[in-house]
Amino acid sequence: MKRFIIEREIPGASELTEAQLAEIAVTSNAAVASLGVPYHWVTSYVAGDKIYCVHEAEDADTIIEHARRGGFPADLVAEVAYEFGPHTAELVLQ
Amino acid sequence: MTSTPVIEAGRRSAFPPRRRAPTLAATFHGPPEPSYPAEVELLEREPQLEQLREAILRSRRAGGIVTISGESGAGKSALLRAATALEPTVRVARGLCDPLETPRPLGPIREVITDLSAGRSMHLDLGGATTPAELAATLMQAIAAEPTIVVIEDAQWIDEASVDVLRFLVRRIESAPILLIVTYRPGEIGAGHSVRPLLGDIARQEGAVAVAVPSLTIRAIRALVSETGLDAASVLARTGGNPFYVTEIVRHPGEGLPASVRDAVLASTNAVAEDDLEVLRLIATAPDAVDDRLLPLLDIDVPRLRRLEATGLLMRSRRGVGYRHELARLAVEDAIPLAASAPLHARMLDALERSGSGDLALLTHHARAAGDDRRTARYADAAAADASRTGAHTEAVAFLRLAIEHFIGEPAERADLLERLSYEEYMVSHLSDAIEAISDARRVWSAVGDRRRLAAAHARQALIEYYGADRRQAERHVGLAIEEVDSPGYAAAWATRMYLQLRRSDVDAVKASARVASDVARERHDDDVRLRSEIFGAAADVLGGSATAREQLLDWADEARVLGFDEAASTGYSNLVAIDVDHRRFREAGELLSRSLPFTVDRDIPLCSQWQTGVRGRLHLLRGRWAAALEDAGSVLEVEAAPLALLWPNLVAALVLLRRGASRELAERHLDRAWELAGRLDEPLARLPVLAAIAERAWLLDVDDDRLDGADAAIAGLHDGNGGEWAAGDLAVWLARLGRPVAAPRVAEPFALELAGRVDDAAARWRALGSPFEAALAALGSADEAVAGGAVDELDAMGAIATADRARGALRARGLARVPVRPRTSTRGNPSGLTNRQLDVARLVAQGLTNAELAQRLYISPKTAGHHVSAILAKLGFATRRELIRRAGEMGLA
Repeated sequence: MKRFIIEREIPGASELTEAQLAEIAVTSNAAVASLGVPYHWVTSYVAGDKIYCVHEAEDADTIIEHARRGGFPADLVAEVAYEFGPHTAELVLQ
Repeated sequence: MTSTPVIEAGRRSAFPPRRRAPTLAATFHGPPEPSYPAEVELLEREPQLEQLREAILRSRRAGGIVTISGESGAGKSALLRAATALEPTVRVARGLCDPLETPRPLGPIREVITDLSAGRSMHLDLGGATTPAELAATLMQAIAAEPTIVVIEDAQWIDEASVDVLRFLVRRIESAPILLIVTYRPGEIGAGHSVRPLLGDIARQEGAVAVAVPSLTIRAIRALVSETGLDAASVLARTGGNPFYVTEIVRHPGEGLPASVRDAVLASTNAVAEDDLEVLRLIATAPDAVDDRLLPLLDIDVPRLRRLEATGLLMRSRRGVGYRHELARLAVEDAIPLAASAPLHARMLDALERSGSGDLALLTHHARAAGDDRRTARYADAAAADASRTGAHTEAVAFLRLAIEHFIGEPAERADLLERLSYEEYMVSHLSDAIEAISDARRVWSAVGDRRRLAAAHARQALIEYYGADRRQAERHVGLAIEEVDSPGYAAAWATRMYLQLRRSDVDAVKASARVASDVARERHDDDVRLRSEIFGAAADVLGGSATAREQLLDWADEARVLGFDEAASTGYSNLVAIDVDHRRFREAGELLSRSLPFTVDRDIPLCSQWQTGVRGRLHLLRGRWAAALEDAGSVLEVEAAPLALLWPNLVAALVLLRRGASRELAERHLDRAWELAGRLDEPLARLPVLAAIAERAWLLDVDDDRLDGADAAIAGLHDGNGGEWAAGDLAVWLARLGRPVAAPRVAEPFALELAGRVDDAAARWRALGSPFEAALAALGSADEAVAGGAVDELDAMGAIATADRARGALRARGLARVPVRPRTSTRGNPSGLTNRQLDVARLVAQGLTNAELAQRLYISPKTAGHHVSAILAKLGFATRRELIRRAGEMGLA
């Protein structure tokens, strides 16, 4: 499966309550379960007027399909090309 | 230093090489999708595309309208797709109408708004706007900012509220860079269809473009079937050149020629497994598309969806999963075995309910098809309330009928539904249906022994009976309503009684009832009835000749408006303006109508709007403006107006046609109808003007008419102080011209002058009042032969050809030496041929407005304003607008 970052524009996202987020999660899980193809919701970040999600699927079409079924916006879907962090610096020494 | 390696590394690049260069394929922008996603190949549509492309370009400067008509499958949407793709920078907002038995109120308007909001941080809220005018203003504001194409597709399925909003939009479209495109199937909009008034308005708009999408010719079919081995001539014969049908055949050339479009579509399902077919059928039960959020609830997973999409029958859009074409959906839906249909609808209904859908029209649709009475009644009830709120009364009627048909519950609840139905039927001017519904409600109240509600229903029925021009029934029901003091309709019944008394010019009775009604209203804190009682009381005073009552009435009506009693206010205007016109207060009447008519349209009070349009027709008639008079009369006569509102339009149409000497038979029919209505209304201010018209006809045709036998009694039945002096004068003068003088004790001044033989003075009075026709007829009797001859010329000039001919005969009979012969048509300086719109424009030109100022004032383009002015000058026979300004006063346009 490939990993994707999904940018969802939701005005006032950071003001969503825990209960509202729980409801969104229920909807999202139901959408995932309905797909009938491999799909994994890794995690999501609420920041400002946006929610950034990390999902795994075979292709971007499936990511869009999940968003449609959940009724979520998916303003940008980008495949993760590489993950790196502080430890990546170690590569320099090689 | 530790930084050195970093700098070195930086030279090599601080970032690891990307595994893969980012490509478009890896980055998707989600919805919004373009409104027309699919690529299509168009054949034989070049002229239509060109028409659309030109309209789109023109609309950037000044708004425009295009209608696209074609049968189902003709390729209207495909044409739109191609046309909008030609100008991709212009944004497109689409509103689709759906084939629900009863359409969603404001369905397409809401879609247009959604389309405009998609992908923008703009969120349009229609919540605050309630009337069509407000909705149109909100919509206008949202779309006017940048060039926009607003598409309303499949208008043969549109709802009444959307039609009202679009009619407002059409009126102002030239002031914004908007192109409104309306598509429809001409074969599916019969007489009386909701969309007709909109198409009528559009047809009257200068520069509106009508695009017809015809069938394909043999050449196009040959091109389409070229690689299939099919015979083009046979395909044409089978399909009639319907592009959808042809395309479906071409998709499965191996199957031979299908017998019908249905068979052609179903060929795509031959290879589909049974459980997939079940889902195709499920989707076919949805008249629009299946919302994506329902897919989890309907157990439609991605692999299945992909298999179904491979049939080529489905399409994914902003609305969800639906059929590529309505013909495809119908083919699959029609093929659902009878026993399988209800369970499919039940499944859809269940999914909709679990998703928390508030789409009442859709819920009603599925509940009904699922055979679920309880839910059908419940959703139809709620859908009706929603429709009524948005002004979609046609749909409210349909939903209420459904709710009643499927109703299970207490009789009282059913009676409530019947009363609501009665109100909605009244709102769409189906008065006999409204009476039937309220009568049914009465029977229920009677059966359950609820005397209070029974009396209230009588009160309601009284009003509807009167609008149906049945005074006898109206008075009977008022009488029954007033017997029950505890009834919730008791105060209203008194207001109705006053209204009936006022309409019969029974001033003293009105005053007596007013005392009761206002006491009752105050006691019960019923401001509506209190204000009605004040308004009717003031109207009675106006009839009685009070100098101050008119202002008082307007104050009460204003108060009613402020408090939200729109019907009370509007009824006040309707009655006042009718008296104004009868009493020849033309300036006041015109001024009041210019405010009150838009109010009745804006607040959706059809009866008052029809009535006032009819009264304005009479105003035009009395001012010699035949074209505008006929236009107003025609606009009421052509809709299913309430009988009460048909009185003046019939009278006006009869007189204009009689005076012009054209369409005698039609004129007679209108006069007969007016006479019949006046009889049913039994009111002096209806009967006397109709009798005067009958007398005029008798004079014009030199015939007897036994309807005039009651004329003396009608005049004698009037008494002082009930405002009948103008109506009586008119009739008395015509009877005198017929050589059957009557005793008319008190008549208005110009008539009195004429009856006294002072015809020159009478003519002068009429001229000063602004009634050229009446002035000419008075002058005809002048002892001065030049004056009498001049009167004939005037009649000719204003197009009253038949009256002029009759006048020539009368002058010859008098032995006048010089009787003018019928001239060649000349209407120089005569406004009798100007339409309402042209009269409005002419008044503004008379004030010195330029084309640019006209454009701004009337929400049209300067070019259109220029066209209007040219047409007006041509009709008036003027070369310049200066001439119009100079002579505005004498034409009554100042």
